[in-house]
Amino acid sequence: MNTAAPFGERARRREDGPLLTGKGVFLADLIRPGMAALRVVRSTRAHARITHIDFSAVANDPHCLGVLSAATLPEGMGRLPAIDLVEGSLPAHHDILAREVVRYVGEPVAAVIAADAYLAEDLAARVAVGYDSLPPVLNVGEGIRADAPLLYPQFASNVVHQTIQRVGDPEAAFARADLLIEETFHFQRVCASAMEPRGALATLEPGTGRSLVYSSTQIPQILRRELARLTGIPVERLRVIAPQVGGGFGVKEAVYAEEVLVLLALQRFGRPTYWLEDRQESFLASSQGREETLRVRAAVTAAGEVTAVDADCLADIGAAYLFLSNTPGAAVASLRGPYRIANFSSRARSVVTNKTPLNVYRGAGCPQTTLAMERMMDLAAQALGLDRAEIRRRNLIGPDAFPLDRGVSYPGCGRVIFDSGNFPALLESTLEAIDYHGFPARRAAAGERTLGLGLSFVVEMSGGGGAEPAGIRVLPEGRLQLLSGITPIGQGSATTLAQILAGHLGLPLTAIEVLTADTDQSPDAPGTFASRGATLGGNAACLAGDLLIREARQLAATLYELPLEDIRWQNGELIGRAGVPEPLSLAGLITKAQEHGIDALRRLQVSGRYERDAVSWTSACHAAIVDLERDTGIIRVLDYAVTHDCGRIANPLLVDGQIMGGVLQGLGQCLFEAQRFDERGVPLTQGFMDYVLPTAATAPRFILRHIETPSPLNPLGMKGAGEAGCSGAVGAIANAIADALGPQVPFLNGSGPFTPECVLAMLRRRGGHHEA
Amino acid sequence: MQCLDIRVIVDGKALTATVPVRLLLSDFLREQAGCGGLHVACGHGVCGACTVVLDDVPVRACLLLAVQADGAAVQTIASLPQLEGCEPERGLTPLQQSFRRYHALQCGYCTPGLLVATAKFLAGCPSPDRARILEHLNGHLCRCSGYANIIAAIEAVRA
Repeated sequence: MNTAAPFGERARRREDGPLLTGKGVFLADLIRPGMAALRVVRSTRAHARITHIDFSAVANDPHCLGVLSAATLPEGMGRLPAIDLVEGSLPAHHDILAREVVRYVGEPVAAVIAADAYLAEDLAARVAVGYDSLPPVLNVGEGIRADAPLLYPQFASNVVHQTIQRVGDPEAAFARADLLIEETFHFQRVCASAMEPRGALATLEPGTGRSLVYSSTQIPQILRRELARLTGIPVERLRVIAPQVGGGFGVKEAVYAEEVLVLLALQRFGRPTYWLEDRQESFLASSQGREETLRVRAAVTAAGEVTAVDADCLADIGAAYLFLSNTPGAAVASLRGPYRIANFSSRARSVVTNKTPLNVYRGAGCPQTTLAMERMMDLAAQALGLDRAEIRRRNLIGPDAFPLDRGVSYPGCGRVIFDSGNFPALLESTLEAIDYHGFPARRAAAGERTLGLGLSFVVEMSGGGGAEPAGIRVLPEGRLQLLSGITPIGQGSATTLAQILAGHLGLPLTAIEVLTADTDQSPDAPGTFASRGATLGGNAACLAGDLLIREARQLAATLYELPLEDIRWQNGELIGRAGVPEPLSLAGLITKAQEHGIDALRRLQVSGRYERDAVSWTSACHAAIVDLERDTGIIRVLDYAVTHDCGRIANPLLVDGQIMGGVLQGLGQCLFEAQRFDERGVPLTQGFMDYVLPTAATAPRFILRHIETPSPLNPLGMKGAGEAGCSGAVGAIANAIADALGPQVPFLNGSGPFTPECVLAMLRRRGGHHEA
Repeated sequence: MQCLDIRVIVDGKALTATVPVRLLLSDFLREQAGCGGLHVACGHGVCGACTVVLDDVPVRACLLLAVQADGAAVQTIASLPQLEGCEPERGLTPLQQSFRRYHALQCGYCTPGLLVATAKFLAGCPSPDRARILEHLNGHLCRCSGYANIIAAIEAVRA
């Protein structure tokens, strides 16, 4: 493989120019005069039977261009897809528009179309929906009780999905254990809060009359397939384009009702129609993340070896499946992280509740399992009087253990087989980076400040989702267009993929243009999620690059009447052993072919599929130092060290950006963020006034390091980089807070959020002053 | 719907328009003044993505009505060279170049508002210390970058 210059460089992004000058084209920038706005009428009840939907106040309003409700949907219309169902899952699929029962506040009940968004909102407010309230289920504890109200009476249970894993003989290990630890962890519901809300627009393509749907989505190809299934429009009569996407994080990795509704409105009322989510709607009707209760038991020997772990996860997936609702809970399969722990059992159940549907959010379950496992390590160290780094050292999988079959399966991605890594090296590097050994002195010198240090390991699946296609087109001047299925969502994939392909072919970075996110241009690929972009998109690009090299060599061999083996590809050019006077560039090849009447551009158009099993496991060791202000309960994260192993790095500048952004999202989950509901199931957090996101002042000082153990599973040796920052952060920060509070303070296990109120309440419990 | 006539100078260009009194300044600028670089992210004045400079004062365009801008001059991301007092080099001002160099943007949705506010901030406070920069940035949410690179990009251009 050619590893020429561009691969590995801190290349500045090609995406930046338009974004910095305000010329980036996001969904809202595609709205043109004459397009109609769609407003969704949403349920105001968490659980209720719809008695009537009365459009009479708007039906004759001249501003009303059309209405939609379940009764007027095409007959037999399906429901939204879910792709992570195991055998035995109950079909709790999400309706396009609620049919008889609403199951969460914000569920789409009807839609109104008008000439602009202001008018549509006016009209939507005048649609009268009658409800007979039903008792809501608002948490998993209630949901699994035998007498719980049922969201789907036909299922006879609110548990809709279950996965069970078992490795070794956990019962025997528990029976022999010197120390048993059992803890229950609570993870609050959070909102991904991409800065650009969702949005969709349906119009007719000029010339062809095809339906053209734009959506701020991570998965345009899957969206096209599902829109075809739901509307009956043949897939070839549909084109889906994702414009600039203003952040994804998983919230745009689903097929949503609004994307279907704009297309239905276009079909039915003949007007190009758009829907732009407002921020309140994102808190009601965009997927949410994380919420689960995780009970973990650990068996530990006197020497600090964890011999068995048993985990029971109840995931609160909200009212219905939304694409990958079950994955976060089922990810408990990888709870053991980097530790050997020979015996393991887990059960993960998904419980439907009367809340907004859950979906994957950056980390997809790994933040929860990481936090739980890392708290258990600290608790075991504390109980045994061991140093926290030392207990980890004693349990880490060694650097020679790979490939290592963990004996469990990861939902949708097959068996968990760790491909590569060097966990002990990650630990020692991070301890050095955070000055672990100097910390006791630093803590002692902090005076009135109370410092705490927390460690956390993360081993995370990356690159799932299946095979990845890619194609290359050659332009007359010899430049290349890479046709990739990786949708850009802010991660800089066009830059990274161009670097990878340029490095592979030995061409300058500027010779490669990357085309994505348009079902007419990009191949039919899964999309952007699961930290798969660089690894799968990159390896697919190289595979297409190899096909291009072969075609170019064959063409040159034909033109110069030489045997194929006499033509080599070197540093972006063709070199012939004899008869080819000098290195031949692609442009030169094209010119030469034209002289012979050969359509070189067509000959050189290639496409291929990267089919190899590419699920690789990214690892990282995090360490956080926090400052606890005892009077106010305010926690500040001062220093944050990560040693990260995502195999070979195509662009360190961008990987560091992924890590820091991910850490801040984990920090937000631990310190600020919570989607809260009242006792009727009405969300109390419906905007950024009450849903608190991290700001610049909360960002720690970062110390980032990398260890590159190449993945043997793909030729580039890469592993994903999008999520391990987020997944490791919650564990490190929670452990650091617990450390600052000290062992006498009963610690609230989970990701808090550790707001000042929460911290003060924990401190008071220590003092014996229980809260009312 | 009651409408009013307004006259606004947007990025140096004088505009007159008849607008509904309830039309938000952010929607007016985006839809009628062609300011696609103005992004609305929260719609309730928290995130700072829609920041513009109105008669020399940074404001949130999502919290103002278009009619409130009658008679005023509005500067958006297109006026960044004026706000920074620098001619762009290869299309980018020093602040834009610094953001690119330090990878201070990922999805780029919050970026134009952040640049406008930061240019205005630096014009009034050319050599801010880190604490002043953090105070300034408290008015802006970014969900991608983790902020460290934004802070570094601003530190690199201060006088």
